[in-house]
Amino acid sequence: MNEQTEASNGYIAVATDLIKHFQSGPSTVRAVNGVSFRIPSGRIVAIRGASGCGKSTLLNLIGALDKPDSGELRVDGVDVTRLTGAPEVAYRRRKVGFVFQQFNLIPHLSALENVVLPMELEGDSKRASDEVASALLRQVGLADELHRRRPAKLSGGEQQRVAIARALANNPPIILADEPTANLDSKTGRLIIDLLQALRRDDRTVIIATHDVDVAAKADAILEMSDGQIVSRSGG
Amino acid sequence: MRGALLVGVLTVSVGLALIMMTVNGAFATRLDDIQSQVGTSVTVRPAGSFGGGFFERGGDNNGGGANGGSTNGGNNSGTSTDPAASSQPATLKDQDVNEVTAISHVVSVSSQLTARYSGTGLESAVQPRQGANPAAPAPPAGAGGGFRRAILVTGTDDPASLAALGVQSAQLTSGRTFDASESNADVAVLGQALADHNGLKVGDTVPINGTTFQVIGIFTSGTQFGDNSLFVPLTTAQTVFNRPGEIDQAVVKADTASDVDQVATDIRQALGQSNVDVVTEQTIFQAITAPLSDAKDSSRLGMIAALGASAVIILFSIGLVARQRVKEIGILKAIGASNWHVTAQLGVETAVISITAAILGALATFPLAQKVANGLLSSPSTPTGGRRGQAFGAAVAGRAGGVLGSVNVAVSPEIFLYALAIAIGLALVATVVPAWYVGRVRPAEVLRYE
Repeated sequence: MNEQTEASNGYIAVATDLIKHFQSGPSTVRAVNGVSFRIPSGRIVAIRGASGCGKSTLLNLIGALDKPDSGELRVDGVDVTRLTGAPEVAYRRRKVGFVFQQFNLIPHLSALENVVLPMELEGDSKRASDEVASALLRQVGLADELHRRRPAKLSGGEQQRVAIARALANNPPIILADEPTANLDSKTGRLIIDLLQALRRDDRTVIIATHDVDVAAKADAILEMSDGQIVSRSGG
Repeated sequence: MRGALLVGVLTVSVGLALIMMTVNGAFATRLDDIQSQVGTSVTVRPAGSFGGGFFERGGDNNGGGANGGSTNGGNNSGTSTDPAASSQPATLKDQDVNEVTAISHVVSVSSQLTARYSGTGLESAVQPRQGANPAAPAPPAGAGGGFRRAILVTGTDDPASLAALGVQSAQLTSGRTFDASESNADVAVLGQALADHNGLKVGDTVPINGTTFQVIGIFTSGTQFGDNSLFVPLTTAQTVFNRPGEIDQAVVKADTASDVDQVATDIRQALGQSNVDVVTEQTIFQAITAPLSDAKDSSRLGMIAALGASAVIILFSIGLVARQRVKEIGILKAIGASNWHVTAQLGVETAVISITAAILGALATFPLAQKVANGLLSSPSTPTGGRRGQAFGAAVAGRAGGVLGSVNVAVSPEIFLYALAIAIGLALVATVVPAWYVGRVRPAEVLRYE
C-alpha cells in the first residue's frame, strides 16, 4: 500500500503479519508473533496488555528502534522494515517522537537542552531551536524557571513533561509513548495523559503502550495484546 | 572527578612522552653536532703502539751523540732504556707510506716520527716534582747530572697539521714553520714554554744530538705539555735520532667521510692486519659518544613507551566511558542521532581531555626536561674510548666541544605543537573503539535492559 492509498484511507500505520522473536538462552521469546493492524491518523491508540505481552516491542518496531524478523510495516508512507543507515536515522528524527517510561532524558543537559537536542541533530539553528524548545516546554506546562534545570532537579512528572516536549521537537506525525505513567503517581499520570490527548488536536497520532486500564480507556482505539498477538480490537 | 583523574594520568604520560621527545631531540642535535666535526682522518701506527699513548712513545735520547738514543717506542712503562724491555715493536717505513698513498680515495698522507730528548742541549720547561711518581722512568745511564724530564721531539712532513699530533690549537707566536723544501733542513719550531725556559728566540740555534738546529718559529698550544715540545722536519728527525726510513705514525686523509671505512680496510690489507693499528676518527667518536647514543636510545624508548601508555590509558578510559554511557548512546540514537553524531560527541570529549592533558604535559616539559637529560647522561656508563687511542680520543673529544654530560636541553614553544599533534593522535586512537561500539548499540536493546 503506497503513501497516497494509506493517507486516503486515513491510516498512518499499517502492519501485516509482523514477527519479532528473541532468543533468551535456550528458549525463544515470541514477543511479536504475527501482528497485523491499521492505525488511523490523528487518533490516540492504546496497546494494552500485561507486562511481557510484547507491546513495548511492537512500539519499538513502529519507532524503528528494532527490526522485525519478518512481516510488513509502513508508517506514514515509509517501509520501516527496510530502513537502515541515514534513512533510518531520518525516520527516527522526523517521523516519530518517543516518550519512555523512565523518561530517558540526558542527565547532564538541562530541560531546555534536552528539548533542543533533536532539533540540533536536524541541523536547526540554536536560536530557533531555543525558541521552539521554550515554547514546547511551556506548552507541556513546565514553568520557565525550570527550563534550565537538569533532570535530577525535576520531579517525575516534570521530567515526563520534558520528555513529551522533546518528542514533539521536530514536529513528528506520530508520538510513541511506552508506559508514560508507570513511574508517576496517579494524579500526575492523569495530567500526562491529558497532555498526550491534547496532542491529538494537531492531527497527531499518539500510540500508547500501557498495562493501565484507565489510561487505555482514554484512547480512541485499543489493541489488546497477549503473548505477542493482538487478541482484540476496540474503538475507532 | 573521573574526567579530572583521567586528565591527571594522561598529563603524566603525555608529559613524559614530550620530555623524552625533547631530550631525544637535544641528544640527537648534540650527536649531529659532534658528528659534523668528525674528520676523514685515518691514523696508522705500528701494532700495539696505540695503547701507550702518543706522548709516551719514542725512546729517550740522552744526548750522548747521534747514536746515543734508543728508538724502542711504545713501551707503556716508560722504561725505554731497560735492555730487557727494548725489544723493537714493528715500525712503519717510508715504503709503507708509499703503499698507503697508492690506495684509492686517499687524498694525502702525513708522517711523523717522535723521540724524547733529554740531553744537555735543551732543558725541559716541565720540572719533575719532588717525590714524583716512583714509577717514573729512571734517568738514563750517562745522562750526566740529575734526572731531567725528556722533551718531545716530533719530526713531521706536515707541520700544518699539528692538531693531528695531539697539539691542539697550535698557533705560531713568532717566526714561521718549515715547508716541503726544508724536509732535510736543520730547523726547529719550538714550543713557547721550551723557548722561554731556555731563553731562545727565532734565529737562535740549539744543539740536539750533535746537530745544530736553527729556531725558525715559536708556537703556543695553550697547554704546558704541548709547549714543552718541538717540531723538526721528518727526514732531519730520522737522521738525528738514527731512525732512517722509520715513522711512528701516518695520518691518512680520505676524500670523503663515506670512504673512510674502506680506506681503513684497504690500509689493514696492504700493511697486514697484525702489523698496524688503524683507527678512524669515526671509531673514536663512536666510542666517545657511546653514552650519549645510549641516552638517546633510552629517551627514544621512553618516548615510545610513554606514548604507548598514553594511548592505552585513553583507549581504555574512553572505551569504559562509552560502555558506562551506553544508555545515553541508546537515547541519542532513539531520538535521531546518527552513529557519526554520537561518535563525534565522544570524540570531542576525548579531544578536550587529551588536549588539556597535552598542554599540562607540555608545561611540565619546561622545568623537567633538563633534569631528565642530566639523569639519563649520569647513568653508570661513562665516556670512554678504551685504552685504544686515548690521546687521539682526547684530542677529538676536545674538538667535539668537551664534556658530553653538559648537553643543553632547550625547550622551544614548538613543544605545544607536538603536544597538540599527540593530543589529536590520541583522540583519534581513542575514538576508534567507541565508534565501533556506538555502531553496534541497538537502542531497543539498551533501553530495554537499562
